[in-house]
Amino acid sequence: MAAAVTFAAPALPSLHSSSCSLPPLTHRSLSFVAFTSPTITKLSFHRSSRRFSSAPSTSVFSIKAAAAAADKKRVLVVNTNSGGHAVIGFYFAQQLLSSGHEVTVLTVGDESSDKMKKPPFTRFSELVSAGGKTVWGNPAQVGDIVGTAKFDVVLDNNGKDLDTVKPVADWAISAGVEQFLYISSAGIYKPLDEIPHVEGDLVKDDASHVLVEKYMAGLSFSSWAVFRPQYMIGSGNNKDCEEWFFDRIVRDRPVPIPGSGMQLTNISHVRDLSSMLSLAVENSAAANGKIFNCVSDRAVTFDGLAKLCAQAAGRELKVIHYDPKAVGIDAKKAFPFRNMHFYAEPRAAKEIMGWTSSTNLPEDLKERFDEYVKIGRDKKPMQFDIDDKILGSLKVAVTV
Amino acid sequence: MARLVAMQPRQASPWASSSSPLLPSSLSEFSGAALSISLQKRRRTWQPKGALQVTASGAKKILIMGGTRFIGVFLSRLLVKEGHQVTLFTRGKAPITQQLPGESDQDYEDFKSKILHLKGDRKDFEFVKTSLAAKGFDVIYDINGREAVEVEPILDALPKLEQFIYCSSAGVYLKSDLLPHFETDAVDPKSRHKGKLETESLLDSRGVNWTSIRPVYIYGPLNYNPVEEWFFHRLKAGRPIPVPNSGVQITQLGHVKDLARAFVTVLGNSKASKQVYNISGSKYVTFDGLARACAKGAGFPEPEIVHYNPKEFDFGKKKAFPFRDQHFFASIEKAQRELGWAPEFGLVEGLADSYNLDFGRGTFRKPADFTTDDMILGKSLVLQS
Repeated sequence: MAAAVTFAAPALPSLHSSSCSLPPLTHRSLSFVAFTSPTITKLSFHRSSRRFSSAPSTSVFSIKAAAAAADKKRVLVVNTNSGGHAVIGFYFAQQLLSSGHEVTVLTVGDESSDKMKKPPFTRFSELVSAGGKTVWGNPAQVGDIVGTAKFDVVLDNNGKDLDTVKPVADWAISAGVEQFLYISSAGIYKPLDEIPHVEGDLVKDDASHVLVEKYMAGLSFSSWAVFRPQYMIGSGNNKDCEEWFFDRIVRDRPVPIPGSGMQLTNISHVRDLSSMLSLAVENSAAANGKIFNCVSDRAVTFDGLAKLCAQAAGRELKVIHYDPKAVGIDAKKAFPFRNMHFYAEPRAAKEIMGWTSSTNLPEDLKERFDEYVKIGRDKKPMQFDIDDKILGSLKVAVTV
Repeated sequence: MARLVAMQPRQASPWASSSSPLLPSSLSEFSGAALSISLQKRRRTWQPKGALQVTASGAKKILIMGGTRFIGVFLSRLLVKEGHQVTLFTRGKAPITQQLPGESDQDYEDFKSKILHLKGDRKDFEFVKTSLAAKGFDVIYDINGREAVEVEPILDALPKLEQFIYCSSAGVYLKSDLLPHFETDAVDPKSRHKGKLETESLLDSRGVNWTSIRPVYIYGPLNYNPVEEWFFHRLKAGRPIPVPNSGVQITQLGHVKDLARAFVTVLGNSKASKQVYNISGSKYVTFDGLARACAKGAGFPEPEIVHYNPKEFDFGKKKAFPFRDQHFFASIEKAQRELGWAPEFGLVEGLADSYNLDFGRGTFRKPADFTTDDMILGKSLVLQS
């Protein structure tokens, strides 16, 4: 088993502070080599050359080359069947397939389940057309499901706790999987006065994802990495994000926003997440042992997002701020984002892998709105019970 | 589960708390020698192989416009320690040099013996042009320039100028819903800092080898802008801290010593040619959080914070709070990536440094003025009764 190799010289927590002075980006590929020993370089080539007939180039640039035939990976994505993270596996699979890798997506549950009637599952035929395999089942039985098929990389985009992920990780070790990737959550960071959440910051003591992260780290994968996402927009999303705002804006309804509206959040286009994951697959040595905030590199406020949605829709915006406690409602049910500053930055991905964000909310939201209208959601009859309760209670306060 | 105290040294475990890097003890007293060594080491270690090696080749003749008040005090020391010939251009109203708290007598005498002074008013453009032309300088650090017209005579006087390094401001950025500000963001031609913008444009149009640094809020010992001082006055008096609106507005502080180091890092650095860099602290902080951080840094108990609606008051000309009432923070990634610079002070450490070397010794620039506080607190008391 090849030893886990870390190219990045600084220890993880010092990524953004004094001792971590990084070589300029333009010379990154050169300096990568400058800091690695020749033996390690050879090791990584040896691994890949085992599989392919064509002799790998000894040029150092192939470490970072986009997937050429010599670097083709066999990837298994274990994907959740619902929720905000479901779409990540879909985009990741699509990107891998278009780069020439082999992909199998194992979705939790049954193919015949009602859950499969929602995106991104409704688009899984696209994965098959692109040469991917889609299977269904219980991840705890992953070995039985995939049988003798071999994989180089496994992404667990499903489990929130050790009970769910352990069987997959254990199987991956026994099956000789080299790289294990895990979709965790930026929600495990401890909220602090200082912002943003940066890789290495304190996490909540009781966060179940943390136990998974630590368990993975303790196994003997050649490469493992953890990805902590926030909120996503993008076609194929299983969970509403910007739609919540569009629903109200197109119906000329006020948008009720808890608190001051100044709360920061991070809304990424899901293609940012899949590009980061793909980069980790193609730079498995550099990504080894790292935690990556899997997010775009800009924060937006609640009010700001409402404004951008209205601009994308070309409609007027009316925002009402309210105090959830005073109104007597649970903000979690009333609003799609957690009611506090919740903002992580993708510093590790940028510094270690030279990743760049492509999320452009003003442009991306226009595309999202176009699809919103195309599928006829703007005409769909809707109830706004919680909104009405909020607006009603505010009116009551005013007339006193 | 790792539960670590903020001040522990960085560990290999990714789950260790590292929100505050351990501060090397040499930085708690400003030691020019220690800093310049680490600077040189940084430059040598992190230059990529094969890239153009531009080191400070021998001593430069440097002129600092200003240099006796805050940033320049620290910058000039670093430059002198690196072996450059440094002149300060000031009207001479403030002493040319002052011994810094924590600075050894020997270091101070050494600095004092080497620093030069050119006395004049930079608004006297003719004098600026003739005196600078007469002396000739390789590099200009313009730390106190506000308007483009002030820079023209400098450029006219020095056609062979190697580099013009300008202290601009992140205040030039156009207010945005998407933050942090990156150097590529839109700027606001109508902002209070438009003079800085116009200066940057002038520099670019004149074909000078320029570098512009955009700090956010600067803090540290000798700060003449009552940033941390404003909080320290209230903490010392045991008064509540009045914060406008929700207190979740996010701002960003950068330590003056880190800023000085950034200014030195761009000297003679070809990567920095015609580039703009945001320079500040690594993390941002809410208004409420900053009040708490000041208390922590200075060793006071957690303060009571009172929120108020500024629209309900007429403070006249007085400023009730030292920060602009909006989110305001900038990414320092570009400087980190391209220059190999990184801030060494975390927020609480930096505030402790400022307190220990300045306010905590009984020194401050502006005496306490609680007029606006009393207006705010008076009204709150009335509402409660």
